[in-house]
Amino acid sequence: MTRYIIRRLLITIPVLFGVIVLVFIVGRLLPGDPCRILLGERATDAVCAEFNHRLGFDLPVLEQFAVYLGNLGHGDLGTSFRTSRPVATLLIERLPMTLELSLYALLFATTVGILLGVVSAYKRNSAVDVLTMAGANLGVSIPVFVLGLLLASLFALVLKGTPFALPPSGRLTAGISIVPLAVRWGMENDHGPLRAVVDFVSNMYSLNGLLSAQWDIFADAIRHLILPAVALGTIPLAIIARITRSSLVDVLGLDYIRTARAKGLGDRGVVRRHALPNAMLPLVTIVGLQVGGLLSGAVLTETIFVLPGVGLATYDAITSHDFAVIQGFTLVIAIGFLLINLLVDLSYGYLDPRIRPT
Amino acid sequence: MSRSPRWSLFAILATAAIVFTACAGAASPSPSASTAASSASAPASAASSGPYAAKSYPDTAIDCAALPKDYTGTISQIKAVDQLTVEFDLCAPDVAFLSKVAFTSNNIQDSDWLAAHAKDKSYVHDATNGTGPYRVKEWVSGDHLTLEANPGYWGTAGKAQTVVVKWSKEAAQRLQELKAGTVDGIDNVGTDDFETVKADASLKLFPREALNILYLGLNVNQAPWNNEKVRQAIAMGIDRKRIAENFYPAGSEAAKYFTPCAIPLACGGDAWYDFDAPQAKQLLQSAGFDFGKTYNFHYRTKVRSYLPSPTQVATDIQSQLKDNLGVKINLVVEKDDTFLTDESKGKFPMFLLGWGADYPDVTDFLDVHFGTGANSGFGKKFDDVTQLLTAAASEADATKRGDDYAKANTAIRTHVPMVPLVHGGSATAWRADVEGAHSSPIGNEALWTTKPGDRNQVVWMQNSEPSGLYCGDESDGDALRICQQIFDSLYQYKVGGLETEPALASSCDPSPDFKVWTCKLRQGVKFGVQGELDANDVVDSFAVQWDAKNPLHVGNGGTFDYFPALFGGLLNPPPPAP
Amino acid sequence: MTTAAAPATVGLDAAPRSRSSGLWRDALRNILRQRNARVGLSILTILVLSAIFADVLSPYDPDKTLLGAEKRLAPPCVHLLGCAAAKPEHPFGLDANGRDEFSRVLHGARISLQVGFITVGFAIVLGMLLGLVSGYAGGWTETLIMRVMDVLLVFPALLLAIAIVAALGPGLINAQLAIGIVAIPVYARVMRASVLTVRESDFVTASRALGESPFGLIFRRILPNALTPIIVAGTLGIAGAVLDIAALSFLGLGAQPPLAEWGSMIGQDRNYVFTAPHLIWFPGLALALTVFGFNLLGDGLRDALDPRLNR
Repeated sequence: MTRYIIRRLLITIPVLFGVIVLVFIVGRLLPGDPCRILLGERATDAVCAEFNHRLGFDLPVLEQFAVYLGNLGHGDLGTSFRTSRPVATLLIERLPMTLELSLYALLFATTVGILLGVVSAYKRNSAVDVLTMAGANLGVSIPVFVLGLLLASLFALVLKGTPFALPPSGRLTAGISIVPLAVRWGMENDHGPLRAVVDFVSNMYSLNGLLSAQWDIFADAIRHLILPAVALGTIPLAIIARITRSSLVDVLGLDYIRTARAKGLGDRGVVRRHALPNAMLPLVTIVGLQVGGLLSGAVLTETIFVLPGVGLATYDAITSHDFAVIQGFTLVIAIGFLLINLLVDLSYGYLDPRIRPT
Repeated sequence: MSRSPRWSLFAILATAAIVFTACAGAASPSPSASTAASSASAPASAASSGPYAAKSYPDTAIDCAALPKDYTGTISQIKAVDQLTVEFDLCAPDVAFLSKVAFTSNNIQDSDWLAAHAKDKSYVHDATNGTGPYRVKEWVSGDHLTLEANPGYWGTAGKAQTVVVKWSKEAAQRLQELKAGTVDGIDNVGTDDFETVKADASLKLFPREALNILYLGLNVNQAPWNNEKVRQAIAMGIDRKRIAENFYPAGSEAAKYFTPCAIPLACGGDAWYDFDAPQAKQLLQSAGFDFGKTYNFHYRTKVRSYLPSPTQVATDIQSQLKDNLGVKINLVVEKDDTFLTDESKGKFPMFLLGWGADYPDVTDFLDVHFGTGANSGFGKKFDDVTQLLTAAASEADATKRGDDYAKANTAIRTHVPMVPLVHGGSATAWRADVEGAHSSPIGNEALWTTKPGDRNQVVWMQNSEPSGLYCGDESDGDALRICQQIFDSLYQYKVGGLETEPALASSCDPSPDFKVWTCKLRQGVKFGVQGELDANDVVDSFAVQWDAKNPLHVGNGGTFDYFPALFGGLLNPPPPAP
Repeated sequence: MTTAAAPATVGLDAAPRSRSSGLWRDALRNILRQRNARVGLSILTILVLSAIFADVLSPYDPDKTLLGAEKRLAPPCVHLLGCAAAKPEHPFGLDANGRDEFSRVLHGARISLQVGFITVGFAIVLGMLLGLVSGYAGGWTETLIMRVMDVLLVFPALLLAIAIVAALGPGLINAQLAIGIVAIPVYARVMRASVLTVRESDFVTASRALGESPFGLIFRRILPNALTPIIVAGTLGIAGAVLDIAALSFLGLGAQPPLAEWGSMIGQDRNYVFTAPHLIWFPGLALALTVFGFNLLGDGLRDALDPRLNR
């Protein structure tokens, strides 16, 4: 098992390197001299020479790349041109939001999706099944941005005043302010890695509320995440429902299920103890694959619901040619993906003894 | 195989991921107010034992008779006479000095604070220190900005204890939040939403005077617009009234002159051409215009008070030019951040742009666009226009000034470097229970005078996030407005109005020839985080903008657009772009 | 010996020909038997007809502003459903520039179909090429190509597309290029898997022993094997491409005004979601239906053509 893990890690490394190179190239390929973009009319040759020298843009490209790699080794992800703040700080501010959103979207998609898939498989070919699967297909077809807009108008305007009203944007109701966990736990003067981790967790507002037992903050944060999570999670939900149903249908036709039933195990027990665990395997792959789609959808969801997450920040950075931010964010996202892929592969071994490498 | 090795491996991987991010986080400076480091240039500002170390900038006044070759400005020297008196020596009389000095870019900073925070740019985002009614409590980038009352404020404290600033690019979203009650006031109500707000009893609309102009720019150096007849044809061929009626809210009107008539002396001379498509077409034909080609038309999608619906207006112009004149144009969307730079270099043959008033004087409109200091957006300048404008800028007699501007307007009408389209009205909207709700004609809402019912916090939603809070180097209204809550200038605009009144200076008096202005500062004014106001702070605040070679002339993007626009030019300016 | 060999060869040659045409007919019948495919095909037929006959079916020019005569943002007016006869008929209302929304939605069908086919076509051609080369060549070439595909797959699709469009400049063509590039890995992998399966099988060794050229191998053995999964993936891919281009246009990076593309129409009229919701509903519905149609068709194709499911 260890050898398998090590082998997978070794394969991951060249891909990671490829990502770093690709990001670096795309960043440098973006047209427009950053000096002139930033400084506008005052960007004369003399000023730009000084600017490029200060930021190391006058070095040959390979040297720039070496410098970049060196900085990465120290954990220095560079500084954003637009806001003059370190990319790492921006990351700690924005990534938790997207993670929180994606987590809730995934939670919504898996629980409801698996439930619907199981029900459909159980009652296959009945009206329930057909309707659910048609609904799932439709769910996959609606663009995230259309769904988001319609949900927002439905819940914020049509249902305004009712107990079902949900806020159309933002993370918290104005006026509720978050006390960073670091402050609450007396870590204000600590600036080390532990503080960064605490800040990261603290920026996930629902977690912040949970960990500090502020139930009103917890509830408010969750209320603001319901609509975006539903909009974002609908497509994965539909896919998960279909895959669950089809893999469950496959499994339920197998011999050992018949044996279990012959032994007197009730239907529900059959599904729960024998069918479901084996149907999980393709599901895990699909969930792993959905994470990529979640991040793409996050850009659109964050735009519509005005949530300051990493998707929106990357989009802003790309359209304003902020190299450092683009490089830093895509790098972290890519590492995250590779890790998730690795976890998915490794979880195969756990879930299916037949696949465990010897 | 037991489970523990695998789980421990999972744990190691997860920890590795977190540690990686954490190490990255540790390498960054944490955003807290840093203490003042040793400074290079600014002397101590507190009155210590012994005579006050008054500063003058520059040390030797600039000789007005022998200006340095690259200096086009009007200031000769700024000096601290004593601890609470500052003197501005100008080379040319300036009747609009108070309006200019009240402008947000001339907010007063503390010398020590500048010395400590300019070079690393921390004063843009993380370290603000002003004398205003509020100070920054927290700024969650991308999400919101919270201001709290400045305890040592010299004036009447803000009515609300806290101000929360939020932003959204979409007018519909801003209105939605206002209706939902999650915000108390919004900027730039959508064009089609004015009626909705008026019909809603829980909301109130505050229209703004249309102190701006939307124009279709033509570069007179580039064919086919280098032919004056062609330009005149375009001037007659657009139904500007239709644009104003369909895409602008109530309070907007088709422009008759470049400068809105609410500004004194603006509307003399011949009014713009009437809409006459047949005659325009004839003019084009007689000028030998090539109707077969398609011409590029450049615009950006950023919303402004003079252009609330960029894409729709551009589409309508395209449609009108085709239907009225048979001229085919191709819409080219430019990026928001490069548009202004490219336009100022004269890159676009035909483009859509506008201008909002910074201070209520004709020089803010005509000189900026058609005077000697104007950029190359319209190509080569016209001598008859520039001469009239230069003469008028230093003319103290109002009647003669008015004459000069009238002649300039007529000349502009003949040459058509641009077609003035619409003066765009805009409005703010507030919840009905907000006391002191208002709108400012120059977008300078005084949030400290608003109190939302019995809530102790006012929530304001504008178009976009402030790009930075060092307003010496900001030009976006959304940043300038917030600076005004945190900082003060020597004078300030009356709430919701255009006249100026004393602020940090108890008075600023001119000499009889309007060339020397002496300002007396209030005593005992404290900055929100540290420091007390004295004359050297004023000198330094202006000096770091004025002198491009000053080590503290850093800013956010480094362009310092306003200082040269207000005072003629920078000291030691960088050589102009080729 | 010769007599024994002859019928065998005849049998070998004759059987594939009639079997393959019989296979196609069987496949078609299988497809039409699937309810999914039938519904999908009917939806798509409506779409294709709208696209082809958009000019004839549209009451107005999609780019013509009717501002002088009519009010912008007018709600839908259908005479049959009770709208006053004096008012001009606009089934989907008027948009913010006073253009007929129905005509624009119809023309949007043309753009979306074009975009979908071109993008996926581009991705399939390049993907198949890469898959072929890597599957055939093996060794370092294969590893290199597959790693590059992995790198492409690591990025979230939309973000990578945004980056490519930001580098090339906004516009429909660049958006199609971006989405096409992002989609290549899928088809490369399918093609490579097909090449690998076929390469190892016995009849290929036999064919090669009989002197079949590599091109013959590709066209007669590998391609037919890969055809089914590529068709299925391609159909589903068109659905994805239409969605992605709409998303890019929604963000302002794809179709530029005044082009009547559904995503761009929704993006520009976003602000009117409360005052003129018909401007969001109709293009949104059209988008959803189009994607739904392709999804159904893809599902139906997969169920029909997947040999494992033929019980």
